[in-house]
Amino acid sequence: MKNLRNQKLFPVGAMMTTTNSVAIQKTTRNIRKTVSAFFLSILAWIIALNGPAQEPSVRFIDVNGGTIAEVSAQRQAEQIYLSVDAVRQIFDLEMTDQYNHPRKRLTLKTKGKQIRLQIGNSVVSIDPGGQTRTLPTPPIIIEQQPMLPIAFFTQLLPELNNFEALYNPSLNRVQLRPKGAWTPAAIGDSVNWAIIIDPGHGGADDRGCESSTGLLEKDIVLALAKQLSSISNEQGIQVYLTRQTDTKKTHFERIQVAKRNQGQLFLSLHCNASFSPHEKGIKIYLNNPKGQLRFPSNVQSALTGQRLKILAQANFLKQSQDFAHALQTELNFLTETPVEITELPLVALSEAYMPALVLELGYLSNVEDLEKLSNSEYIAGVAQAIVRAFQRYISSINPPVPSTLLE
Amino acid sequence: MSDTQETVNISDIQSERISRAQGGLIEQLAGDAYSSAGFSRLLVIWGITLVLIAVGLGVTLYLIERSKQSLVPTAPPPLPIAANPSDIPPPPQEVNLFLLDTTALTLVPVKIERRLHAELTKRLSQIVTALIQETPPNFRNTIPRGTVLNEAYIDSQQTAYLDFSNHLTDGHIGGTTAELLTITAILKTVFDAFPEEIKQVQILIEGEEVKTLAGHLNLSQPLHLFQ
Repeated sequence: MKNLRNQKLFPVGAMMTTTNSVAIQKTTRNIRKTVSAFFLSILAWIIALNGPAQEPSVRFIDVNGGTIAEVSAQRQAEQIYLSVDAVRQIFDLEMTDQYNHPRKRLTLKTKGKQIRLQIGNSVVSIDPGGQTRTLPTPPIIIEQQPMLPIAFFTQLLPELNNFEALYNPSLNRVQLRPKGAWTPAAIGDSVNWAIIIDPGHGGADDRGCESSTGLLEKDIVLALAKQLSSISNEQGIQVYLTRQTDTKKTHFERIQVAKRNQGQLFLSLHCNASFSPHEKGIKIYLNNPKGQLRFPSNVQSALTGQRLKILAQANFLKQSQDFAHALQTELNFLTETPVEITELPLVALSEAYMPALVLELGYLSNVEDLEKLSNSEYIAGVAQAIVRAFQRYISSINPPVPSTLLE
Repeated sequence: MSDTQETVNISDIQSERISRAQGGLIEQLAGDAYSSAGFSRLLVIWGITLVLIAVGLGVTLYLIERSKQSLVPTAPPPLPIAANPSDIPPPPQEVNLFLLDTTALTLVPVKIERRLHAELTKRLSQIVTALIQETPPNFRNTIPRGTVLNEAYIDSQQTAYLDFSNHLTDGHIGGTTAELLTITAILKTVFDAFPEEIKQVQILIEGEEVKTLAGHLNLSQPLHLFQ
């Protein structure tokens, strides 16, 4: 029995030995490949770390979103610094500068003012007048050149030029706009604006979109609406919400809030969703029965009650478009993906006899948008941008006295 | 002596291996009866039973066929000219279904082949049902799962009425973009298949007109697309 088994096993054993040796060779080759790939990737990583770092750039944009200049910057200890030449590119082409190497003093002459800075010192003196200002970060020397901190461009220079600057550090964008030009005081006290904010959906039955993490559209839009209300009231703009709590409201009830308070603008807040996880960004929709989707013209002949409700927005189309562009300009400052405006027949805005928009804040089906919408700082930034859009739109209807600050 | 015993033992082991190798079915039929006599008996019984069943089925089918012929003995053989054209299956035709290209983020036409019905409304039903059901790889269907097209009509003003089950609204993910994609996919598919016959589409849910699918778009009227 043993002999027979041995006789049978011998060739099988030989085959197994051959197979094993082939397998061992393959495994050895695979290990070699993996180890080489590992060391190569480490080498690539070291090269990438020591290689020339991508220099950041800061884009300065004007009040209408147009680019004034995009200037290269240097990053040191998490701070952004710009060259002296950037002052010329952005604020004053005729500016002159003088740098005293031994004393490390920099003097800038711009628009009749003399600004004196010292490397390593946060205090800046301004003549005539002998005023001083303190920067959060002092100027420094990078590659033997004096470099100015970003605050010099977002705080000091705008102040001296009667501008106000909005700085978006995540996108390295600075918007310069006339100081105080759009405050209600500048527009005129006679204008008493009432804006209707409509947080979409609400209640247990109407939750709107839902993210994979359980974040609900109805909660995001209500939180934003409350912030909007608070900021707008501080700015002298009266805001009315169509719902104050997580309750279900019919379209009729929402429109009644607008009518009762004689609203002059209607903004419906929503969060978007798509079948593709790649779709992202803020979108603005306005009600137009002749938009991308449209009601046929032959059906419009009968002015039934339903038709009149649809046509309620027809008289306000131009104002809605102006409001949409104001909102687009302000929101574009916050996001890399350009904000789109689309015209569609919308039920959310039907029966609103005032300029009206639907604002989709971002896609709950997209990871990046979801992260933003979960961030309270981002929501606060959106609220401030919307209030600026209100001011921009109101000023376009009641233009303020041309400001000499713009000269 | 020991050699003889070992030979016997080996032949036993081999026969056992063979009997085990007969497979699961026979093993199940035979149960624990591994002896060759028991197994042969069972095989014969089952063989005879199967032959009898086959013969019985054959006879039954022959009788049924014969009885049919005897009912209409005088009927003339059908002439090729007399055949109804609608009975002849039409050749497959290409149809464009508009599905979401998840990379390009746009609705794109995806060709499928279908034997389409000659009648307009039935053809419309077929195409919209195909749009609901088809999801080729690399594309996303914008119609919620479980949606059924209950009925389709076309009126004299070339308005198509598509009556969907409530899954179209209840199962929708929401959001203006998603709602727009769903409606646009339906409209583009219909207008592409019926460029002359259908001018606008009214969406109905369970036979009723609806204001909206997910709270954004106004569906209270028939719709067409801006070209």
